[in-house]
Amino acid sequence: MKKSTWIQILKQIICIGMVFLVVIPILLTLFAAFKTKADMVKISPLALPPFDRITFENFEKVLKDKYLIIGFKNTGIILIVSVFFNVMFGTITAFIIERFEFKFKKMIVALFFIGMLVPTFVTEIARFKIVNGLGLYNTLGAPIIIYVASDLMQLYIYRQFISTIPVSLDESALLDGCGYFGLFGRIILPLLTPATATVVIMKCITIINDMYIPYLYMPKNSLRTLTTFLMNYANSQQGSWQKLSAGIIIVMLPTVVIYIFFQQYILAGVAAGAVKE
Amino acid sequence: MGSLIRKKRKFIVISLVVPVLLLIGFVVLPAIDLFRMSFTNWDGYSSSSKFIGIDNYIAMFHNKDLWLSLKNNTIYFVMHLAMIPIELGFAVLLVSKLKAAKFYKTMVFLPRIINGVAIAYAFSYFFSPINGAFDEILNILNLEMLSRSWLSDPKIVNYVLAFVSIWRFSGYHIILFMAALQSLPQDIQEAARVDGANALQMFKYIQVPAIMLMVDFILFDNIRGSLQIFDVPFVITGGGPGYASSTFTLFTIKTAFTYSNFGLAATMAVAIMIIVIVVYLVQDKLIHKVIMKGGKKQ
Repeated sequence: MKKSTWIQILKQIICIGMVFLVVIPILLTLFAAFKTKADMVKISPLALPPFDRITFENFEKVLKDKYLIIGFKNTGIILIVSVFFNVMFGTITAFIIERFEFKFKKMIVALFFIGMLVPTFVTEIARFKIVNGLGLYNTLGAPIIIYVASDLMQLYIYRQFISTIPVSLDESALLDGCGYFGLFGRIILPLLTPATATVVIMKCITIINDMYIPYLYMPKNSLRTLTTFLMNYANSQQGSWQKLSAGIIIVMLPTVVIYIFFQQYILAGVAAGAVKE
Repeated sequence: MGSLIRKKRKFIVISLVVPVLLLIGFVVLPAIDLFRMSFTNWDGYSSSSKFIGIDNYIAMFHNKDLWLSLKNNTIYFVMHLAMIPIELGFAVLLVSKLKAAKFYKTMVFLPRIINGVAIAYAFSYFFSPINGAFDEILNILNLEMLSRSWLSDPKIVNYVLAFVSIWRFSGYHIILFMAALQSLPQDIQEAARVDGANALQMFKYIQVPAIMLMVDFILFDNIRGSLQIFDVPFVITGGGPGYASSTFTLFTIKTAFTYSNFGLAATMAVAIMIIVIVVYLVQDKLIHKVIMKGGKKQ
């Protein structure tokens, strides 16, 4: 065989090895979810049970848990409201910063920039008091207002995108008597759709997967999200890996499905976020 | 013309007022409040607190558990650092001529998408001491003597957790390197070639600077990321046994919300914030400028 063929084979072997590393922890969890309690001990963790002993009991148990439905519902509400405001504020802020000169502009840009440098998690030590003081503790309002106010990655994506839209478009729209709000709402916003797709999908994944904000601000049972549901489920199923495994798989699914369908937007957004310089 | 300026001003004010207020109220003020709290002994619920000067700062520097936590952070940092050449290698591999490259690209980024808590539990199962998959793999390879209590032995728990962190984030870095490699504009490369640049010069003046920018980004992302590592140790070990797998952020959060010492926790948060800002300044003002200069020499 030619040397180049050997290189191709070697490359494939390395890549398949990588795929194994990625898939194995997930696959073994899936195997466990199909096992009965007895088979967890009898059958190697690396193998599926024989076909006729595969059980769906573990999945049924999770899916029948009323808090899973509540978790889906709460995550959904938080998601829709926060992403809506993230897009609205993100687009208009980026548009104004990119296009206009005004008093205090430097200060406002600096503020948003500082906002991105403030570390996550530890800021809650001070933010907790404010959220509490507003009466938002143990309400869906707490995560919503925090996600809307503090996750600012959309500004980069929108600013980058707006800088590619020619300014002459703004000028002719304004000459045609379309006011500033009209210019933004009817011309700029629709042009930003591809960037918005990226922002929406990336935000969905961040918010669905966030553990700490719901855990800290919404200990109430009826306010569980998908992620805090899993944490509670894990505590109540201690030691029963087969039951917990089914929960793990169910909670993993939403973002994995989103990823499978929209990966080009996600990968584009990831690169855009980093190559901001 | 005057009315147009007035309209423009109205548009700007109306549009920015809410986002800016939210930013000030929920990001800027809390950040400033951390500084104020760091000089008090506030416990998180009392209506009053005492100003205690720099006592918290002194206590922070004398806190052994915090230093142990910080040492654990460096394990994450060093292991992620060691992964950079491997990640770059994978990126080069995935942008080269390769069958099924798209599928591999999808797979490599998958861990970054999956719920962190779900991953944490999946790995707890994988490394569990009873019927754990990892021990089973060692058995099959006849390496059972290497078997350990992966998540409760203070000597190795951090390496296992750092491995989970690598499993989650390496794909993200590979995708970033791929973006850097693919962002080299074809026409610049073509122009350089026409001007008589040889392969070595092309590599040195065009490809390396582009990759270096990304290496620089990932390097600092590693510093910030390993300093703020929180959710995986929080879910898998809770920082235990003892403080053996605690991290700086985990310890800070516990100091506040478990031990109700908000003053001391705020001091640690200030420390994290200062480190993040210093790291940013070093990256932006020093290293970034040097790299950009090197790239423009041609």
